[in-house]
Amino acid sequence: MILYIPAALFVVCVLVAYGSAGRRRQAATVGTLAATGWSLAVLVDPGSVAWAIGPIGASLLLARPGKRVNSSFEGLTRRVATIAVALLVALLLASRLPVGENPLLLSAVPWFLGALGAAWFTSPIDQSERLQGQVLMVAAAAAVILATVPAGPLTASLAGAMALMPIAGERWRLPGSLQLPVSLTMLGLAAVALVVAGVGTSIGRIVLFDFSLDVSGAILLASAVLLVAGAALTPIGSEWTALLGVLVVSASAPSLRWAALGALVAVATVLAKEGEHLAWIAFGVLGLTPVLQGVATLTSTSTVRVQAVALALGLVLIVLASRVGVIRVLVLPAAGFLVMLAVTTVTSPNLVRLQWITALGAVLLVARMVLAWLIDRSGRSALVRDQLLFALLLLGISARDSLGLGALAAALLLIDLAIVRIEVMPERWSGTAARLVLLARSNWPPAVTFAGASMAVIATLQASLALGLLAALLLAGLQLAPLLDGHAVAPSPQRPRSPLGWVVPAVSIACGVAPALLLRLLRL
Amino acid sequence: MVELLRLAPGEHVDVPYLTTFPYADLAIRLDGLSLAFASVTLITAALLMLARLRLHGDRRDPWFSWLLTAAATCAVIFAHNLLLVYIALQLLTLAWTGALDETARRRRGLRLSVQIADIGLLLAAASAIQSVGTSGFSGVPSDTFALPAFVLVLLPVVARVAALAVTAGGPQATVAFEPAIVWVAPAGYLLMRMLALMGGRLPDRPTAVVLFAAATLVALAMAALALFERSAARRVALLLVAHAALALALSTGADPLMTVACTWLWLLLVPLAGVASVRVGAGSLPEALTLVNLAMIPGSTAFVGLWLGGLALNARGLLFGIIPVGVGVALSAIAALSRLKRPRSFQLDPPTVWAAGLLLIAAFPIVAMSRLVVPAAATVRLVPGGTVATSPFGIVAGGRFFPALVVSLLVGIALGVAWWLKAPTLPSPASWGGKSPAARWGGKIKVPTLPALPTVPPWGRFVLWGAFAVAVYNVLTRP
Repeated sequence: MILYIPAALFVVCVLVAYGSAGRRRQAATVGTLAATGWSLAVLVDPGSVAWAIGPIGASLLLARPGKRVNSSFEGLTRRVATIAVALLVALLLASRLPVGENPLLLSAVPWFLGALGAAWFTSPIDQSERLQGQVLMVAAAAAVILATVPAGPLTASLAGAMALMPIAGERWRLPGSLQLPVSLTMLGLAAVALVVAGVGTSIGRIVLFDFSLDVSGAILLASAVLLVAGAALTPIGSEWTALLGVLVVSASAPSLRWAALGALVAVATVLAKEGEHLAWIAFGVLGLTPVLQGVATLTSTSTVRVQAVALALGLVLIVLASRVGVIRVLVLPAAGFLVMLAVTTVTSPNLVRLQWITALGAVLLVARMVLAWLIDRSGRSALVRDQLLFALLLLGISARDSLGLGALAAALLLIDLAIVRIEVMPERWSGTAARLVLLARSNWPPAVTFAGASMAVIATLQASLALGLLAALLLAGLQLAPLLDGHAVAPSPQRPRSPLGWVVPAVSIACGVAPALLLRLLRL
Repeated sequence: MVELLRLAPGEHVDVPYLTTFPYADLAIRLDGLSLAFASVTLITAALLMLARLRLHGDRRDPWFSWLLTAAATCAVIFAHNLLLVYIALQLLTLAWTGALDETARRRRGLRLSVQIADIGLLLAAASAIQSVGTSGFSGVPSDTFALPAFVLVLLPVVARVAALAVTAGGPQATVAFEPAIVWVAPAGYLLMRMLALMGGRLPDRPTAVVLFAAATLVALAMAALALFERSAARRVALLLVAHAALALALSTGADPLMTVACTWLWLLLVPLAGVASVRVGAGSLPEALTLVNLAMIPGSTAFVGLWLGGLALNARGLLFGIIPVGVGVALSAIAALSRLKRPRSFQLDPPTVWAAGLLLIAAFPIVAMSRLVVPAAATVRLVPGGTVATSPFGIVAGGRFFPALVVSLLVGIALGVAWWLKAPTLPSPASWGGKSPAARWGGKIKVPTLPALPTVPPWGRFVLWGAFAVAVYNVLTRP
């Protein structure tokens, strides 16, 4: 019977949280977190309780107003329906993905926490509750994965600490005097990462107690891309968010990695909310993969199949969400590299499944664009070139081949979409500078777009004829795209002109001239 | 060209500069085919620049663009693998259009068409990488490329040949660089290189038959269109396309003689397209000489290739295949010669020397055959010694002798007589004792005046010494 106490505590706390305001509600929220920590302690080991420090701290920081907000009948119904549906889904998932032979109500508590976060995020009563929802979702992701793939206390506490990030993203900006030094340091770190990877020094893993970071070639490359994007393209004062991206790609423990991705999504959607819901759904779907991996050996092989599908679906959703803002600049490359790394473990039959879904996703991207144009011809439609590059990216990531061309194409296209195709120099340039910028953003050979798109065609043909032909059609469309788009590129996420803007054309030309170096990094 | 002379038959040298991917090293390929095409292309480019220097009236400054374009074409020709060829083709498109801004309206349709057609080559490269792990010209077995890959490579070739016809007829520059350097040279090279990768033969016989029929029909259609075309520039372009289509038709053959024939046609088409792209005055000598070359009649460079191709078809019992080719040649001859006018003046300028040089090559095929064409053909497929034997008087192939010099002389005399009979001006009555020869021969013919001897420019002596040096070198290296 004692095993059901965390679930009972959680339910009581949820009821109190919904029925009260102010400190009582705050306490009830902390109670839900304590219940989840308790369940983790029983499910895994007492050391996992360290996870709760971060979410509880975040909840204490989010003060609730003492007076309840007046709610309408429709609003109340929506909130009740949302939490009911979310809890049912959580119960279903917990029953389908059991952790060992533990009682359902015990292992369902972390899932319930995620359901509560999703409900508050979807139907918030105010902005503070919405933020609290994000905190709970990130914390729940860490808890669910910790329950499936246990980690040490330090890793658990770091995974829990990711729940603080939505609040940091909302409230904390780098002081003005620190912005330039931080940006330059990040660029320097990116250069160091590339040099280390290029030299081929085998570091493998950095370990501190139970916390460890992978630093293989592909991860160093991904880190460099994220650092450059963070230094040159994130909104002023938010450069530090790139470090979350680095943590996403380099953390060894799945709980920390996926919680960091959730935190990154939360931080990225603070300023630009376009595609926010899709990004969270994508995070949820992608977050299922380590859980599925964890339970695969315990139940049946069908979970491996679902894992491949979740990976592909999550990727497609992330791509669909990544139109503008920090989602595109940081979340897209972080998730993209993460999926690239995960694809290497997918078995051949499931890889075909994954390729099917990504191919359908590519068609969906193009179809969505055409449909939007057919529906409202006067409205601002998506950039054709971007959508085609997204489609090629999907195909490139799914095209796993022995030569590593798919990964190379994906890396080049991620660099292109996250760094190059963002407007950081809105002023009109003339002379050599204008020509350099034009070249860097063009489909001509020295630019990264050309290299990435060509490689994607070659790589997808290695995977299958149908994928290759689809990629060739997309490449043909890419040649025509400038006629429709003109010189338009995705808007910069609130960043004025600075000399750091020159990093963008330099990166484009460098990657376009020497893609072989990237391949070398990826294959280390 | 010196490298070409130093290479043994069938020999090739790969010069790697940077090892990037195992399937796409940054390297150049020096073999008979690449060196022959590069030599012809560079000579043509130099002659075009020379012609542009000597012509006035065009204030544009094309030198940077032309140099980049010529360099990009050489990159296409020297590239060591298909992926590099694709990249070089994109650079070539960028060089000739200068359209760094992809939204630029100038020749946008043509540029995009070519770029999209080039994707065929990319797919062929990908197919090779998939099959054998490399798209390099060394190490790809000849059975790597099946029919789809060949058709894909044919796309950029056809697009470039079609561009020849499409681009003519607009506001014409004094000298157009594109027809020879951007369209013909890469198209011919790509096709011959693909044939070389396929062991000199197409995947199967039905494909060869279909391609031969299609190319011959295109040649017939273009020649027929040229008959009715009033614009001189468009007529020339259509005749060039007909020439290219016949070269394509003969590229379908699987025997050495046919390979030599199509190599001859493609290689000599480059300078012919070049000289046809120089704007000369109506009724000038270079115009007349160019039209003779385009007519594909005996005495022109094209005829030598067609004769070789005819011999090869005859040897394989496909004499009927010559009939449509012959009709195409006849139509081209009518289209070109019906506009032929007697030159009103004789001036030794680059286009004149150039066009006359081509006729001289037709008269002395030995100049180009043994040192340029046969090594290139031997790269495409094995050409046994004695397949084509040349002498200063003609060619021996398939046991038949073609007296090129005699034929050229006879054609020259015939054309001279025809011009003389069609002279637009009458000679001075005083010189004929008050009675013109026309009156004496029935009043229907006119006698031309003898032209004054042209003035040789100062650089003429260098041409003389250069020719002498080439002759000495040939004597020196002759086995």
